[in-house]
Amino acid sequence: MSWTSSLVLRLSPLLLPYLVLFCGGVLLTFCQSFGVLTPLPHEGGILAAYAGLLGNRAFFSSCLFSLWVAAVSALFAVGLGTILAYRVWQLPGQLATLALIYKIPLILPHIAVAFVVMVFWSQSGIIASAAYSLGFIQSMDQFPNLLYSGWGLGMILAYALKGTPFSMLLILALLLRFDVRQIQTAAMLGASGLRIFLTVVLPRLLPAIHTAFIILFLYSFGAFDIPYILSESRPGMLSIHVYNLYFKHDLSRRSEAMAILVIMFCFAVGFIVAYAKVVRRLEDGVRKL
Amino acid sequence: MKHAGTLFLLFVLFFLPVIVLLLTGLSPGWRFPDVWPDTFSLQSITYLNVHQKQLVMSIGSSFFFSLLTVVVTFFMCLFPSAAFARTEFSGKALLEGLLLTPALMPPMTFAMGLHFVFIRFSLTENLMGVVIVLAMFSYPYMFRALVAGFQAMGEAYGICARNLGASTLSIVFRVELPLLVPAIVAGGSVVFLVAFSEYFIVFLIGGGSVPSFTGTLFPLLSSSNRSLAAILTLLFLLIPIVLFLLVDKVLFAVYRKKGMV
Repeated sequence: MSWTSSLVLRLSPLLLPYLVLFCGGVLLTFCQSFGVLTPLPHEGGILAAYAGLLGNRAFFSSCLFSLWVAAVSALFAVGLGTILAYRVWQLPGQLATLALIYKIPLILPHIAVAFVVMVFWSQSGIIASAAYSLGFIQSMDQFPNLLYSGWGLGMILAYALKGTPFSMLLILALLLRFDVRQIQTAAMLGASGLRIFLTVVLPRLLPAIHTAFIILFLYSFGAFDIPYILSESRPGMLSIHVYNLYFKHDLSRRSEAMAILVIMFCFAVGFIVAYAKVVRRLEDGVRKL
Repeated sequence: MKHAGTLFLLFVLFFLPVIVLLLTGLSPGWRFPDVWPDTFSLQSITYLNVHQKQLVMSIGSSFFFSLLTVVVTFFMCLFPSAAFARTEFSGKALLEGLLLTPALMPPMTFAMGLHFVFIRFSLTENLMGVVIVLAMFSYPYMFRALVAGFQAMGEAYGICARNLGASTLSIVFRVELPLLVPAIVAGGSVVFLVAFSEYFIVFLIGGGSVPSFTGTLFPLLSSSNRSLAAILTLLFLLIPIVLFLLVDKVLFAVYRKKGMV
């Protein structure tokens, strides 16, 4: 057996399912968006579903809304996660064990985290009760309706709560290999704590920060669980839009649901490629140690 | 006390929710504007007791398909990750990137496309279909962990064993797999969590015939009975923690017996 075919054979347990199920699944999504293989005979041209979407303003506001929720929650989670990871890394031994509580939201499923956000931030929630007891508000409806404000704040809070420990995990893994002497040297040369963090530590953490951001951003952009509990009807997240078209409308609108999925897929691929390019360009300009 | 601030923030963000869930679970009548519940009752726990059978069913089913997903991803990734860690070939970085994409793409994008084919091959509404789709977007975590494991292990152990006359099988089972266990546990934990906490895909492919913990929890979360939902959420937290601690303990005991610790 030649070297190549033995390599292909060894890779096949992964390559086969990848090609058949993942690529095949995506291909089927593409096909159905063009009206091929749909459960009902497709009416209109190949691009009818896309034309319908492009003429639909609700679709565009849905897109923008998904991007907004994904970007804000991922930025917040990565920002807070970076700072917290750095602080946790500095904790002495025993306190560091205590800090393991940060893993709790990692274990909770997304729907449970959404529930936690509801318990805390709804108008009859814990925060509202605390505000009442402290005399900030006199009745329930004086508390801002954060969860249904039209800005997706509830979803952002839930994704941030779930995403912060995730970015902490990735960044802490990198920090474990970080050489403390770099910080000590910087301190000896008179750098302030903030300066050390910004110029010595942060650049070393960037690979993990980029990874965390890409994963969290794309997840919040396309996931279904949290929006299903916390979403506001208008504008809705794209995934909810797809769900409604797929399950609640008649079968003739299947191609429309698939077209949205195709657009989401292409956006995700484009985002990863563009992000990697930008990062590479930025890194080229940085002096390596 | 320069660390007090950090610990306080960690506590408020990540542990306070657990306390509040516990209080909510133990006091069904806790309402605005009380900051602390005035009465406690075990009503929700009694309710769980009454519906024990359904609950055990859904937890058991979730547990089972999640473990099965871990096993499936392990066998999918074992040989490919060895090949990735040990051989150089052109296009390796690109292929690795491509193989990791299923974890990044919204799972809906391929699962919904597959859905009608799965219906035709009667893979919906049964365990197998659910496990296949779950494995399809959670395997990258196992793959990454195993590649890292193989790289950390190096090839020296295998070569050494072969020089001493070990067969390929005994190299795999007695030398390499035991050394790979930490990586398998690391990757397996993530895969387990992804599968255990997934709601939508299990609902889409399982179609209600495959009971799941998330499926049981879901309707309660948006119902008015927050107390019950809170207790179930805590249960959700407890199960993986117990499982991970158990795995940890067992591994430690085994390693000690073999004199590896």
